[in-house]
Amino acid sequence: MNNSDFIAKWRYRLIPDHIIGEILTKEWIDTAIPVLMLVLSVAVFSILLPHFLTLTGMVELLRQMGELTFVTLGMAVVIMAGGIDLSVGSIFALANFTTLGLVNYLQWPVLAAVPVVILVCALCGLINGILVGYLRLRAFLTTLATLIILRALVDYLLFNWGTLVVASSPDSDIWDFLSFGTVFGVPFNYLSALIAAAFLHVFLTRMRPGWHIRAVGGSRRSAHNAGINVRRTVCFTYVLSGVLTGVAGILYAARLDNAGTEAGVGLEVVALTAAVLGGNSLGGGRGSIPKAVLGAFIVALFTNSLLRFSLPSGANPLAIGLILLIAVATDVRWLKNRQKLLSRVYVSPTYFDPPPLLSTDPAAGTPYAINNKLREAEPIGLDQVDGAEDIAFDRDDNLYAGSRHGDIVRFLAPSYEKMETFAHIGGQPLGLHFDAEDSLFACVSGMGLYKITRDRQNIRLSDETNRTLFSIIDDSRMRFADDMDFAPDGRVFFSEATIRYDIFDWATDSIEGRGNGRIICWDPRTNSSRTVLPKRMFPNGICMTGDDVSLFFAETWAGRINRYWFDGPKKGRVECVIPDMPGYPDNIRRASDGNFWVAMLGMRTPALDVAMKMPGFRRRMAQRVAFEEWIYPNINTGGVVKFDINGKILESLWDASGEKHPMITSMREHKGYLYLGGVYNNRIGRYKIPGADPDFNDRHLYWGKPK
Amino acid sequence: MISAIKRSLDAFWGRGDAAITIPSMDGALRPNSLLDQAPALVALPSPDNLVVCAGEILFSSEDGLFALKQAGPSSEKRHVFDKTIACLAAHPSGALAVGTAGAIMLRGGGRDGKVFTQIEGRPLLCPTALAFDGPDDLIVCVGSRTLQPEDWKRDLMQLGSSGSVWRLDLDKGSAVCLADGLAFPYGVMLDSSGAVRVSESWRHRVLRIEAGSAPETLVGDIPGYPARMSPSADGGSWLTVFAPRRQMVEFVLRERAYRERMMREVHPNYWMAPALRSGGSFLEPIQGGAVRHLGISKAWAPTRSYGLVIRLDATGSPMVSVHSRADGVRHGVTSCLEIENRLIVACKGGGVIASVDLNELDKE
Repeated sequence: MNNSDFIAKWRYRLIPDHIIGEILTKEWIDTAIPVLMLVLSVAVFSILLPHFLTLTGMVELLRQMGELTFVTLGMAVVIMAGGIDLSVGSIFALANFTTLGLVNYLQWPVLAAVPVVILVCALCGLINGILVGYLRLRAFLTTLATLIILRALVDYLLFNWGTLVVASSPDSDIWDFLSFGTVFGVPFNYLSALIAAAFLHVFLTRMRPGWHIRAVGGSRRSAHNAGINVRRTVCFTYVLSGVLTGVAGILYAARLDNAGTEAGVGLEVVALTAAVLGGNSLGGGRGSIPKAVLGAFIVALFTNSLLRFSLPSGANPLAIGLILLIAVATDVRWLKNRQKLLSRVYVSPTYFDPPPLLSTDPAAGTPYAINNKLREAEPIGLDQVDGAEDIAFDRDDNLYAGSRHGDIVRFLAPSYEKMETFAHIGGQPLGLHFDAEDSLFACVSGMGLYKITRDRQNIRLSDETNRTLFSIIDDSRMRFADDMDFAPDGRVFFSEATIRYDIFDWATDSIEGRGNGRIICWDPRTNSSRTVLPKRMFPNGICMTGDDVSLFFAETWAGRINRYWFDGPKKGRVECVIPDMPGYPDNIRRASDGNFWVAMLGMRTPALDVAMKMPGFRRRMAQRVAFEEWIYPNINTGGVVKFDINGKILESLWDASGEKHPMITSMREHKGYLYLGGVYNNRIGRYKIPGADPDFNDRHLYWGKPK
Repeated sequence: MISAIKRSLDAFWGRGDAAITIPSMDGALRPNSLLDQAPALVALPSPDNLVVCAGEILFSSEDGLFALKQAGPSSEKRHVFDKTIACLAAHPSGALAVGTAGAIMLRGGGRDGKVFTQIEGRPLLCPTALAFDGPDDLIVCVGSRTLQPEDWKRDLMQLGSSGSVWRLDLDKGSAVCLADGLAFPYGVMLDSSGAVRVSESWRHRVLRIEAGSAPETLVGDIPGYPARMSPSADGGSWLTVFAPRRQMVEFVLRERAYRERMMREVHPNYWMAPALRSGGSFLEPIQGGAVRHLGISKAWAPTRSYGLVIRLDATGSPMVSVHSRADGVRHGVTSCLEIENRLIVACKGGGVIASVDLNELDKE
């Protein structure tokens, strides 16, 4: 291996590029950006400010954050429903004044004042809600108007009674607790904000009214068509916003005991910044409570820390404005470009050194020499089958095959002319095998391992396996069950070709050249599955060797066939039996003379083999060249190869012109004939094997001959 | 400096010069199957270089010179040369110029037997096109300074631009260089005003060279690699395109490491490069859209070979075209001739000379 290959191999082995693409598919990626911003700002500020990370500093910070978090929660809920609430600043000021008036001036007990204040603010929210929700006025202008009107009201109240409400202070433990109490070191107001956030999160994500809010925000028309009362939902969000702002006002009053005119001025802008910064989309429908809490945290952190720099006045609002600008710009660009970015970075090719390409030249005289024997195969289901990847026979010799539409079709013996739908599963059925009770086991791509009983009942055997610990992709679910075989004790070993791609772009996995697939074992005694061999290159065909302790499996894109011992003294060992096939092996089945057939779904090409050693080339190709133009494995030519238990190649059968059977994904020997299936072909082939046993049924090898 | 930065940024983003988009075949170039449907006249390996000499149609097939029989589909061998014939040119006086790798030979018309092996001191390794400009001057296109005509694929993959066009004085043997630094000139024709038209293959355009001035682009952005040209009855010309441009090939042309490795380790027939014919061996690379589904090969599938002849009007705008698409076999058209109301087309890749009825074409 030359130098550049060596470097490429180790660079791609050590640096896992595929993680980037997999992270981008996750739902929580939207929150990742604000979290990153948070970490960054904490790091920067702790360097720039000497006592930033001390406990007292943090406690003071959190105390001020509590009020902002409440208001941001309310703002986030309104935004999620597709609206906006600009009046929170004035409602806050009103709540502040009312609390001080009731507690200080009218000397009401705190526990009686709090509900009254909340009611007053709910009323303000209700005004907004009726105007925007029921009268269908524009949210922005309406809440702006409410902001101005309520501010005027508060100014009037402050002008007339401002000094009176701060004249005296109550002697109440609850009041003191509200203002500077802590619970386990955390200030009470921030703790209450977190508790409220938790309740709201559960409400929004797991309760019906919360789902209604998100539905209305996502698409108002669709929500209305689905029967949701859109007006009531929207009104409710404004009432909720009012309530939360009221609570914030109460906490502010307790903390500062201040009836100045600047209470709550500009709060709506800060709350909006916080909500959007966290990742709640201004358009509605997309957002969550954790994002709002995160946004509030970051904004409060910023404003508080900037204060410590003693910058000139006006710097703080400037900073807030800039942050809002950046947040909104990022929000819009991210929404538009996430899918594009994902499609560009998801395909992550890696280094793979293909084995030497053996010659199939007829003159070379090897068992791989090209011939035209499969040209003599007769067609079954010509132009009727679509997606017949594998073939199976029941005890009455009827032929069963899968279809692209999720059906299991069957052709009735002995003429195989009439096609009928036997059952409908869904997905794309791939490997098919009958068991002793004549139930059909099927590996259904997109669904998992299924069983269809004699009376056409579909039973799901397994669609979940154990999750690998450090895998970003949730590989506990099965995307691509391909082929299976029965072990003597009833366990089923089946292959999952790739965990990164689905059936419609399965060939993209060939461009990656990484071991994305695995072999899974389903145990009927525990009715659960376990991954036994991870990280294989598109494991495809599975076939028992007949010694009851090992099986053959094909790694398609690697061009090799391996033997895996699942029992016996060599349990767990894997040996490569055929390392260098000139084509891509697919399903493996047993032959009547004790040997094995393997289908080659395509042939290796030198130009692609060179590209497999150059992952940078393939990655740039995946990003820049259109999908139909990519260099592809040549699946327009296929063949069938026979090998013995030691991996020695005995013979090969081809359709050199590619007219009848361009690709062959599976074959099954049955009563002297070899039946050929291809997932993209328009027929099943039937080839008479010269000199083969005319009574052979491979089920006898598993379940014995029927009495 | 700025251009170097711009170039490296373009290469990173895949924009500007590094963009691999190709012009679509639309308008006058909308695909059809007329070339596949046309009746065949002769089936011989690699027919090329259709010329009219002293009233009969001559063409080359590998190293043999053949005449096409007007009556009935057949051909008659005239002469066998010692190497593959690369180009032919004929003068109404009966003179014939034959170019092979290394020499240009004259037959008939007074200078019978004269051989040129050099042109202004440079050995004539790669004559790709010839045209008589009067009885005494021969316009010679040299495709590359180092490679032979059969190695055109290597010249493309190496981004060769060492081709040149000369006016050779047949008596004195001296030559005037009309243009140098061309990327594989593959066809030459004199237009009505006496200017020389040259098809520059790797830059996918047709140039017009007037005496004393720099070459200018007559037809640019062709969605394929142009080959020989011949005049049409209405004062325009017929331009053959011997292979299509593909996004994947354009991408490979911009990936030096992969190209060099591929040229080193893989046989030229199996390169991801344009070809005169494709699909013959499964060792050839295929592209995603060329996969056969349900037995059908889509006509618009990406292929490395294609059959295309375009008629240009007098100013060089495309008017109509004749195609053989991905599901056809008449690919690799290098030469054509309009005779009476038929277009005789030599498909070098398809191994056949076909005759397209031009009345049908006008009806399209």
